Amino acid sequence: MALYNRSSILNSMIVGRSIISVRSITQRLRHLLKEYGSQGIVPFLIGLGLFLQGCGLVFDAVELVQPLARDEMSAICSRGQLRVGISVEPFRPFVFPAVFTDEGVRVTGLDVELIREVADALTTYCGGQKPIVPTLHLTRFRDLFIEMNEGHLDLFVSSIGGNVPGARPVGLWYSIPYFHNGGIGAIIQKPEVAERVRAQFQKQAGNPDTLAAIQEGLSGLTVAAQKGRTSYLYAEANLKNIRLLICDSLPAAVETKDPRIDVILSKHSILDYVTKHVWPDWHLLTRNDGTPLILTQEYFSIVTVEENGRLQWFLNNLLYRLEESGRLEQMRRRWLEEDYAPTRRAATEGLPFEVSKVPEHYNQGHCRLATGR
Amino acid sequence: MKSRMFLFISLSLVFFLAWSSIGWAQAPREETEKTAQHLATLLNVGRLIVQRNQALINDPRIGNKGFTPEVFEHEVVDEFIRQTTIDLKHLSSHLPSLAKELLPVLLQSSKEVVADAQLVINQRGIGYKNFIPATFGSQAARKFSNRSYVKIKQTALNPRNLKNMPDAYEENLLKRLATKLPVDASFTEWIDNETTLRSVTPIYYSQDCLVCHGNPKGILDISGYPREGAKEGESCCAISIQIPVNKR
Repeated sequence: MALYNRSSILNSMIVGRSIISVRSITQRLRHLLKEYGSQGIVPFLIGLGLFLQGCGLVFDAVELVQPLARDEMSAICSRGQLRVGISVEPFRPFVFPAVFTDEGVRVTGLDVELIREVADALTTYCGGQKPIVPTLHLTRFRDLFIEMNEGHLDLFVSSIGGNVPGARPVGLWYSIPYFHNGGIGAIIQKPEVAERVRAQFQKQAGNPDTLAAIQEGLSGLTVAAQKGRTSYLYAEANLKNIRLLICDSLPAAVETKDPRIDVILSKHSILDYVTKHVWPDWHLLTRNDGTPLILTQEYFSIVTVEENGRLQWFLNNLLYRLEESGRLEQMRRRWLEEDYAPTRRAATEGLPFEVSKVPEHYNQGHCRLATGR
Repeated sequence: MKSRMFLFISLSLVFFLAWSSIGWAQAPREETEKTAQHLATLLNVGRLIVQRNQALINDPRIGNKGFTPEVFEHEVVDEFIRQTTIDLKHLSSHLPSLAKELLPVLLQSSKEVVADAQLVINQRGIGYKNFIPATFGSQAARKFSNRSYVKIKQTALNPRNLKNMPDAYEENLLKRLATKLPVDASFTEWIDNETTLRSVTPIYYSQDCLVCHGNPKGILDISGYPREGAKEGESCCAISIQIPVNKR
């Protein structure tokens, strides 16, 4: 029973008769508070607890008979819009930087294509009379969680890891994965850093222990990670002997010259893309056999709030179906393996976004040393 | 004698009325043609200003580029005066009333495109942003056309943006232009029983355009489109304008 369920309280308030009963309940509460105020708060609280328990039953009963409050799915259908949060810091190839096209300013990427799929499925769910338009709210990564909790978004997608400890703030729900191979990786510029790590693997001789090799290999080095992202959580939890630099974005880490950064940690699939297409001076840290070094497994999820039970099932069922049909695999291949120009894709399939929600002059920020480690 | 005098006066009157009606009809036609020419020049000037600032716009080291709508407007106004002697800030009373009505609308539309693009332009750490003369021109023309009964469009025989495909009239003219030497003029014609003016102003490739549109032909440029293998001075595209006279 949802004793303090917000929606059931709201429902009972909407029902005409219940408004009268809620008012009389409030008056009685005031009276009780006055009466018992001098005699002690404990008996009052016990009474209140018992009273509220009954109240919850009434609320649930009312909701069962007349479910008047709209759930989040009906709200999306009647609004005709799906409010989606996307990080303004680019996470190529999941979210590319916004570009100008013949159609105006657009964003594109795997996450954006996924949003289109969700919106299309919602259009069908809502009866197909009018299309559900995804309205993108580009905002800083850290603000996505705040925007979500404040009810400004229905969901957000930005290559967000759902299974790394500490990554899930209270009150948010993470879908089943739409991207499985999202482990944390590392990039370097100096070959000697790779040699240090490989020397550690060699010492392990047939009994590999990545965490131990990384802890020893990176010891004393300057390692950068983006604040709030899973790579930062990994470094905080596992790499005690490094100089940890907290950066506002991945581009900020790449641009920082002082102190000189030895290693940047981020999602492997993002690092794989940017080392090939954006920052060729940086290289993926690999194992001794040349395969990419993945520090820990991670999968990406769509995020919404815990209360959105129907939306959660809708998203999980949709993702399962997209996986089952091979559509998700096709999307992953399209963005991660094919050779393409993001600008051209933005022009043909990109989505517009709310400009008002974006910081006026997007600045990729800077890096600073983590304190208190 | 009296009847001759009457005949002379009548004929004079008929001649005067016929002449003046031709004159009345001629004046709006000329005004409309001049207006079309000014509009094409203004859109082209906007494209030129974007091109001049391309290095700044694409500089990944700078966040706020300072290429604001106001800066853009200032540069457009200066260049437009240089090319036409018309001051967009103080439109002369000698200018056709249609031009006085439409030039500010196109200038405002162009400024709004620059305003909309501020987020993209001011991104730091990102070089090529696709804010180029062509994309600017498409948006400015569309914004203007949505606010006016006059239609402006950028077009080409093989446009990268399929929405800029030429209609039959434009295609015919573009094909003729492709075989001619560059000319510094618009092609204007009255169609549909003289009720609609069509004006096509050719644009020719400059050296700056060839970075994306030149050789090697077929190899993808920075925006992902295959290069056209064009040469400097060749016909690139055109600004097409349609002004219906009876819809004001």
